[in-house]
Amino acid sequence: MAKVRIDLDTCIRAGECYYNHPELFRMNDNGEPTLLARELDTPELIRHAREAAVVCPASAIIVEE
Amino acid sequence: MAEAAIQTAPRTDIDPREFDGPAFQKNPFDLYKRLRDHHPVYHDRFHNRWILSRYWDIDTAFQDNGSFDRAQYRPGGPYKFGTNHVFGPNILEYGNSNEHRRLRNIVAGQFVGQKLDDFIPMIHQICEEVVDRLKGSDTFELVTQFSSQVPIRVISNMLGLPREDEDTFVGWYHALIAGLGFGGEHLARGVAARNEMWAYLDPIIDARTGKDGEDLLSRICNAELAGSRMTKEEVKGFVALLLAAGGDTTDKAISNMWYHLMYTRPDQLDAVIADPDLWQNVFTEMMRYDAVVHTQLRYTTREVVMHDQVIPERAGVILYLGSGNRDERVFRNPDTFDIQRDDLHMGRENRSGRYKDGKPGHLGFGIGQHFCMGYAMARQESQIACMKLLQLYGRPAPRDATHPGITSPNIDSGGFRSPSELWLRKA
Repeated sequence: MAKVRIDLDTCIRAGECYYNHPELFRMNDNGEPTLLARELDTPELIRHAREAAVVCPASAIIVEE
Repeated sequence: MAEAAIQTAPRTDIDPREFDGPAFQKNPFDLYKRLRDHHPVYHDRFHNRWILSRYWDIDTAFQDNGSFDRAQYRPGGPYKFGTNHVFGPNILEYGNSNEHRRLRNIVAGQFVGQKLDDFIPMIHQICEEVVDRLKGSDTFELVTQFSSQVPIRVISNMLGLPREDEDTFVGWYHALIAGLGFGGEHLARGVAARNEMWAYLDPIIDARTGKDGEDLLSRICNAELAGSRMTKEEVKGFVALLLAAGGDTTDKAISNMWYHLMYTRPDQLDAVIADPDLWQNVFTEMMRYDAVVHTQLRYTTREVVMHDQVIPERAGVILYLGSGNRDERVFRNPDTFDIQRDDLHMGRENRSGRYKDGKPGHLGFGIGQHFCMGYAMARQESQIACMKLLQLYGRPAPRDATHPGITSPNIDSGGFRSPSELWLRKA
């Protein structure tokens, strides 16, 4: 089990998370990402969270394992 | 801006043959405005397609991957992937599929952040070398002697190809680009150049696969994402694509930036000379005012309703980025080129098209799933090239008092907009 959160103060709304990993992230009307799950209970979701954290240009995605 | 405040074009029907005429290729903006004002969802029965021309409608289509797909091609479909395309198998043909996501994720990281920063000193060096050859001349032709020289030499160096092969590479580049839209003979020459280039790359790819290398070719041969790598064919297709998508577009962007500072707004050159950071604004405003790429094509995957019109499933939809960028519902005085405008996000682009400063961005790179992968690279390279020319050559002025203007071979077939010639002299 792992947890993921987004720091919206650091987020620059680049969109890399929701375009690359729609399984876990969605874009809201402001262009900010929202999470479809906070608690990641499958290896697939954990993989998406980790990749998104690496790809995020603002390092605004935090995965706590 | 309230729609009531907009000065609309006279209401006129559109004859779809206007899209094929030379007037449209020279100045598409009047027709764009008629589309935006009176035909926001235009069904072009003559060309069997639909047209979207307003900024937020284009944004909607870009964001809605469930309704709009980039490509009709399906892996496993009836024709062999990439056989009849100058680029061979490449990422653009994959549409919204997982295959596209896989390939994009493998390569996208190579063109941003630290990996891009690693290439910056080399970009400076190439630009200096190219300007060096012009320094002694009182006049020069920007397109052939400068703009079309820089990006392709940069790509060749990024790939880590031997410098003595650079001129050969430039030759393949010109043949490939010529093969992109002018019929049989050019296509054949383009495909022949592609095959020559691929034969040249074959042993280099083999030598670099499985080895650590900092050049782009080594990186894309070995880049791994979740256990997946690009196949050799995909690497080669990608290199070919890089020449056009990364070379030709940047080449034309540099020419457009100078064109506007020479002919559209010569009064704004002083500000740029005083503050070279403004090259960023020149780039952004060029991408809004008259970007290199004016169209993107989508196919509907289900029925879509917009402005009370029903676009059926499996329809071809043209998004006129060049029109959305002039949408008076979004930008004040949209037909004025102004590097100081405060209603456009001037900095680095976001794939989402959404910015913290609340301002809209230009549409010139597209938005969303298929947003230009080389956006940061194109911006950096264009800015550095323009800055170097100014620093090392000195202030240029147009050689001729008038210019025939920017045009494009055919906007609808993806014809890139750029001046074919731009003669400059020492000011």
